[in-house]
Amino acid sequence: MRAAGLRRRSTAVRRWLEHHALSLTAIATAGVLAVMLYLPVGVVFVNAAFDDGVATLAFFREVLTDPFYVGVLADLFAEPLAVRAHLESLLGWLAAVSVSISLEYPIPGVPLPIPWPSLETPGIRTGLFGFTAYQAALSTVASVALGLPAAYILAKYEFRGRRTLRSLTILPFVLPGIMVAVGFYAMFGRTGTLNQLLGIAGLGPYPFIEWNPLAIVIVAHAFYNAPLVARVTVAAWESVDVRTVETARSLGASPRRAFRDVVVPQLLPAVLTGALLTFIFTFMTFPIVLALGGLQLATVEVWIYDRVRRLAYSEAATLAVLETVLSLGLTYAYLRYESAQSGLARGATSPSRTPLFPDLRTALSPRRVAIVGYGILTLVVFVGPMASLVVGGVTDGSGFTTRHYAFLLERQLEGADYQTLPLVAIRNSLLFGLATLVVAVPMGIVVSVVTVRADRGGAIVDTLAMLPLAVSGVVFGIGLLQGLVFGIPLPGGWRIQVTGAVAIVAAHAVAAYPFVTRNISPLLANLDPAMVESARALGASRYRALRDVELPLVASGIVAGAAFAFAISIGEFSSTVILASGGDTYTMPVAVERYLGRRSGPAIAMGTVLLVITAASFVVVDRVGGRFEG
Amino acid sequence: MKRRTFVGAVGGSTVAGFAGCLTRDGEDDQGNGTETGDPEPEDPDLEGELRVATYESMVDGENPAGPWLKQAFEEEYPDAELTWTIPNNGINDYIDREQQGADIDADVYLGANVDDLVRIDDNLDDGGLLRDLNVDRIDRADRIRDGLDMGDPHGRVLAYDTGYICLVYDENVVDEPETLDDLTEPAYEDALLAQNAQQSDPGQAFLLWTIDAYGEDGYLDYWQGLEENGIRVLNDWSESYTGAYMEGDRPMVVSYSTDQVFANQYDYDMSRHQIAFPNDQGYANPEGMGVFEGASEVDLAYEFLDFALSSDAQAQIAQRNVQFPAVAAEHVDLDEEFDRYAHVPPEAVTVGYEELRGNLDGWVENWAREFASQ
Repeated sequence: MRAAGLRRRSTAVRRWLEHHALSLTAIATAGVLAVMLYLPVGVVFVNAAFDDGVATLAFFREVLTDPFYVGVLADLFAEPLAVRAHLESLLGWLAAVSVSISLEYPIPGVPLPIPWPSLETPGIRTGLFGFTAYQAALSTVASVALGLPAAYILAKYEFRGRRTLRSLTILPFVLPGIMVAVGFYAMFGRTGTLNQLLGIAGLGPYPFIEWNPLAIVIVAHAFYNAPLVARVTVAAWESVDVRTVETARSLGASPRRAFRDVVVPQLLPAVLTGALLTFIFTFMTFPIVLALGGLQLATVEVWIYDRVRRLAYSEAATLAVLETVLSLGLTYAYLRYESAQSGLARGATSPSRTPLFPDLRTALSPRRVAIVGYGILTLVVFVGPMASLVVGGVTDGSGFTTRHYAFLLERQLEGADYQTLPLVAIRNSLLFGLATLVVAVPMGIVVSVVTVRADRGGAIVDTLAMLPLAVSGVVFGIGLLQGLVFGIPLPGGWRIQVTGAVAIVAAHAVAAYPFVTRNISPLLANLDPAMVESARALGASRYRALRDVELPLVASGIVAGAAFAFAISIGEFSSTVILASGGDTYTMPVAVERYLGRRSGPAIAMGTVLLVITAASFVVVDRVGGRFEG
Repeated sequence: MKRRTFVGAVGGSTVAGFAGCLTRDGEDDQGNGTETGDPEPEDPDLEGELRVATYESMVDGENPAGPWLKQAFEEEYPDAELTWTIPNNGINDYIDREQQGADIDADVYLGANVDDLVRIDDNLDDGGLLRDLNVDRIDRADRIRDGLDMGDPHGRVLAYDTGYICLVYDENVVDEPETLDDLTEPAYEDALLAQNAQQSDPGQAFLLWTIDAYGEDGYLDYWQGLEENGIRVLNDWSESYTGAYMEGDRPMVVSYSTDQVFANQYDYDMSRHQIAFPNDQGYANPEGMGVFEGASEVDLAYEFLDFALSSDAQAQIAQRNVQFPAVAAEHVDLDEEFDRYAHVPPEAVTVGYEELRGNLDGWVENWAREFASQ
């Protein structure tokens, strides 16, 4: 009797939980966001609008009327009502603009002409914001251009190691900025790997980095972001409903036509998602621009960092709020587009892949040759810097050396508990990565479900949910420090502090869930809404309909999102270093930074360890995830 | 079926709770050390935990001085325990904490630059955060070399080591520049690498050096000349040195005058590690130590300051951290090799507290805008 009662009760509890699973996860998500995101960001942002406790717009006015920040727009903000004067100066300017396209040879010594648009303008002043947006736009174009071919190859062709390669695409994502910079110098510097290879053929040396600093910064941005574009697009491609293509073909469409009219519309949201994320990231890019390009290429984030460093929080916050507003504005515009897309996909039967190199004849076809050419390019841009970095870890002035690894070993064996031990860093990185995955995936799914195909209000919620991507990393870090590490003052002189492992995982999850959402939402939007409706009509709860009908169909997006969540956690630096201070909760990127002294060897060795451990875990995460993709 | 279990497991997991930690602010009754002047106690309390805040490379780099200091100090004061704490943003963390009324978890600050003192005074009360030291309690204080006085009107810090900023160059490519003016000459076109003074210590030191040489009204013109001659200003020392200089992109970099110590240790070709002191000068960056106003182990803190100036500690700090000792030569015994490869400029330049106060931010901002303005 009792057992039956218990069973009945537990069934009731389960049913209740199942019924409320979505809302419970949503509430938990909101709670995590409130503590780990809105509070720390709010603590800093408030400085932009209050001066000694009095609300003011003075800080915004100051920034918006300073030509250094906003260029020619400063006049507009200074006197918004002088419409006539503004129009006149605009017309005068437009009259003097000319656009020309010339053929340039950007790769020294290689006769490869590339049409280079040049814009002749009469000395427009773009300001810091203008330049920041300009370099972000160029970086986005480069990332999409480099990322899409990879997505195409990974989705359309079968070859040995395809799955492993797919898992490894986002490896650049986890590298600390300083390691990327060192890797780029080691690859493209005058005595770097590329020049050494060219030297064998009697070419060079070429000053690749000196030749055009902006170009090398854009390539470095593509190094980070092209893999992102590729991974998001592959996930979408693998969940394209092949039957829609077959239907089009049976109705007489040519393969090209079927691709253009059926596949492209299903991929476009994913491609645009990748482009949007790339733009936002490179808009807020920080160490890499100055590390490779120099101060002439300073972005808004550089100025924010400077203001934080000299404790001028009002100015820092004002600049950061403007950055966020611009990023979220762009996000909103995109999400309005995404939610207007309503697909009719009813299944994820991923396209059959053709072998890449079935025989010699095919291998020599123009398409295959182009793929080989692209492969060489990716070797130079992606593998080159990482491989050169690894080599840097085993060399010193006299050639090959193991002393940097001996340092890691010695530190592990003999280091004191207040020092940074490599194994502890590795353990923490893996644990936090897994925990982040477990927390961020449900958070991301819930946000997707709540907002996908929703009305204007849903798009606003979705936009606000993307805040973690749109907040300056420098500001988020200082907010965590002032808000959570120093403690939130409560009445009676009490302070509540939030630090340590759980806080780190929560911060990582907050940074990671937007990637889950952005990987899943385009796919969910693509599904035929009638499927959920019929499941609901048959009595399934919203949760069951999601679990049994929708999620299996977007599994490739979930796996991609999970891989991103793991990668974000492994690579995260700025909030980890703050929440880990004084404890043994540091991670691999933190260890890299702490080992970086007057000689870079130990840090590079640790960076290599980070790469190897991460690569291995990506393969595992993708394999485990792949079992559920079918 | 498998697919469903996976999705079910993910969808059903819950979000973990937070490890919140509740603390209560201590009564801040030791706050104003200024008026007491820390008289010499008859019976100093030398027992307890001395918390020393410092920078990362003191404890975490290759063979740092930190572990040695801890061990030797604890041997000398058997009832004391030294613990290291590494703030994320250096002195700024403590200024922030002071402003917000949060706890300051350290007794001694090891590694204050002159501009740190300026930043304290710009943001807190004049002469705040650190105590006015009673130098009579620190017997070895008079060993500190002339010229390493950090110029603080409140006497809050004593130098414990110093570095000199100079130029490191590749003699196979360029000749040694005799003067700062030379750097704007065609012989040094596209040759020099420097660092962003907004965030890099050597970068800021080099900028201040040019302000010392050309004055407040002339330094921007000089930099205009450098810019026209193709200077590259990178983020930080690491990228400019490890990246651009070591990979042969450019033959000259703003760096430290101890460069050859490392080059020798790591078997690098000395011809690529030549030291230049243009104008026969180098910019001195002394590092200071002080005691927090709210320190709970004041007596131990004073003992630590004295200990850090002892001959042994000075030699260890210098050789392990590759810096120059703060005490005069007769009070410290350095390896011959260190002496041979660590170069001291004929004349050391420093822009002192009085000049920096109220000017530093403006100087740096005007300079940075000159570069970044599109």
